[in-house]
Amino acid sequence: MPPIIKISSLDKYFGRLHVLKQVSIEVAPREVVCIIGRSGSGKSTLLRCINFLEEPSFGTIEVDGLKVEAGRKGKEHRQLVHDVRLKTGMVFQEFNLFPHMSVLENVLEGPVTVKGMDRTQAIALAEEHLDSVGLLFKKDEYPNRLSGGQKQRVAIARALTMEPKVMLFDEPTSALDPELIGEVLNVMKKVAKGGMTMLVVTHEMGFAREVADRVLVMAEGELVEDENPEKLFNNPRDPRTKALIDRYRTGNY
Amino acid sequence: MEADVSASMLFLILAEKEHPMAPDSTTARIPKPASSQADLLYEAQQRQARHFRTNVGLSWGILLLILVYLFSGQDFLGIKTISLDYEFIQNNMSFIARGISETFIVSALSITLAIVLALFAALGRLSTIPPVYALSTFYVSLIRGTPLYLQIFFFFLALPQLGIILTGLWAGVFALGLNYGAYMSEIFRAGLASVGKGQREAAIALGMTPRQTMQRIVLPQALRFAIPPIGNDFIAMTKDSALVSATGFVHEIMWRATRVGRAQFHNLEALIMAAVFYWLMTLFLSYIQSIIETRLSRGDR
Repeated sequence: MPPIIKISSLDKYFGRLHVLKQVSIEVAPREVVCIIGRSGSGKSTLLRCINFLEEPSFGTIEVDGLKVEAGRKGKEHRQLVHDVRLKTGMVFQEFNLFPHMSVLENVLEGPVTVKGMDRTQAIALAEEHLDSVGLLFKKDEYPNRLSGGQKQRVAIARALTMEPKVMLFDEPTSALDPELIGEVLNVMKKVAKGGMTMLVVTHEMGFAREVADRVLVMAEGELVEDENPEKLFNNPRDPRTKALIDRYRTGNY
Repeated sequence: MEADVSASMLFLILAEKEHPMAPDSTTARIPKPASSQADLLYEAQQRQARHFRTNVGLSWGILLLILVYLFSGQDFLGIKTISLDYEFIQNNMSFIARGISETFIVSALSITLAIVLALFAALGRLSTIPPVYALSTFYVSLIRGTPLYLQIFFFFLALPQLGIILTGLWAGVFALGLNYGAYMSEIFRAGLASVGKGQREAAIALGMTPRQTMQRIVLPQALRFAIPPIGNDFIAMTKDSALVSATGFVHEIMWRATRVGRAQFHNLEALIMAAVFYWLMTLFLSYIQSIIETRLSRGDR
């Protein structure tokens, strides 16, 4: 099967800082890939380059057959980036729900405003996804009345309602109180079981071990390891991976 | 507790719940606790809040009585008070009162213009296109750097040379609108800045265009942030609209007061009447503002 995501020799500079160095990745459809690494290793930047929240400096990104070359400008490029964003759903560390809209309106916003979907049809779809994250009963609440875990589950429903091909998770549980992490991870497992292609930047080693098909390790902007979780955790090849896993074991990352 | 204060005044005072000292504004939102001890505590807090409001109301009443007494012309214990011609006041009250509608119209039109200008100026300030950014900062700098009084005359005197003849009312509205727009642009700028980067990113990630992101996500939140200060500006504007009387063609409160005052050599009485009307207007507007703010805070913030 052809890869649904293909990243080729991606470079990203922030000013003079070289944050991604010749990163190449392929992800097959329905694969769950976790990206781990110390903070500042470039793992979030890599994820954010895929839907062009960060414009990569060099290289190409291909999502579901749409090939975008870095550094281009103009209308055609913008249209291509827009189409890539429609194929990717993103979940943020800080949830980023829209505070002036109810839970249902948050989830409706994408299909109605972006896709121009008929409202009744969109409501049915939105309610279906809210139900799948277990929060249909909160549909008329405003985000500030939800717990962090509930906010993140709504954010996941909001992304899923756009029916993306790929879901990008940027440290989805890092802003949560420890007792709320489980409910979000459970929803993510459910999404993975449903056959969604997922890229997950995370510190949750348990989740990576249990759910991921592959784990990528980033260090200083480079991809240093790309391995299945069993092998990676038992037999880290790169010394930096070993150091990272030891850090996670001691809870000191 | 109504003893010393006229009913309507008390109504207005009680409506001003936003006072930071008033304990009720925080305690009232706490849901009623379950245990009986908590019930007692809650009731005690409520009692205290009522007590506070009663005493504030009473004190307002006393201050108001003292103020009225100062204009009674009575000489009490050697303290002199100001003497007014109450017959003149009675005869000219309705003439000046008729200016209220004109003052309100000038202010309402001006604030509308100011909001539109302020929004564009604030967006221009965020623009990365140099001429747009320059236009915005140039406008704000020019208007804030010159007196409002002068700007009102400028509109009245300069525009006819360009063949644009504005009535006194519209000259006043343009001057006030332009002036307040410049100051208000800072409010909108702060409002736009208050919307976090994450909100924009979430919208963009959903596939929204920059325009949709601005209209659907950023502006609604920025406006919500800006509504209380806009209310303040509107209240300030009802008073600054008095400057429009200088052109002599808008028959608002101040124009009417100076006219009858000068004609009958009762300037003080006329001005005091004008002051009362302005005060009543701003009290009413503060009351409206507090209702709007309560409603906004109840929603989703």
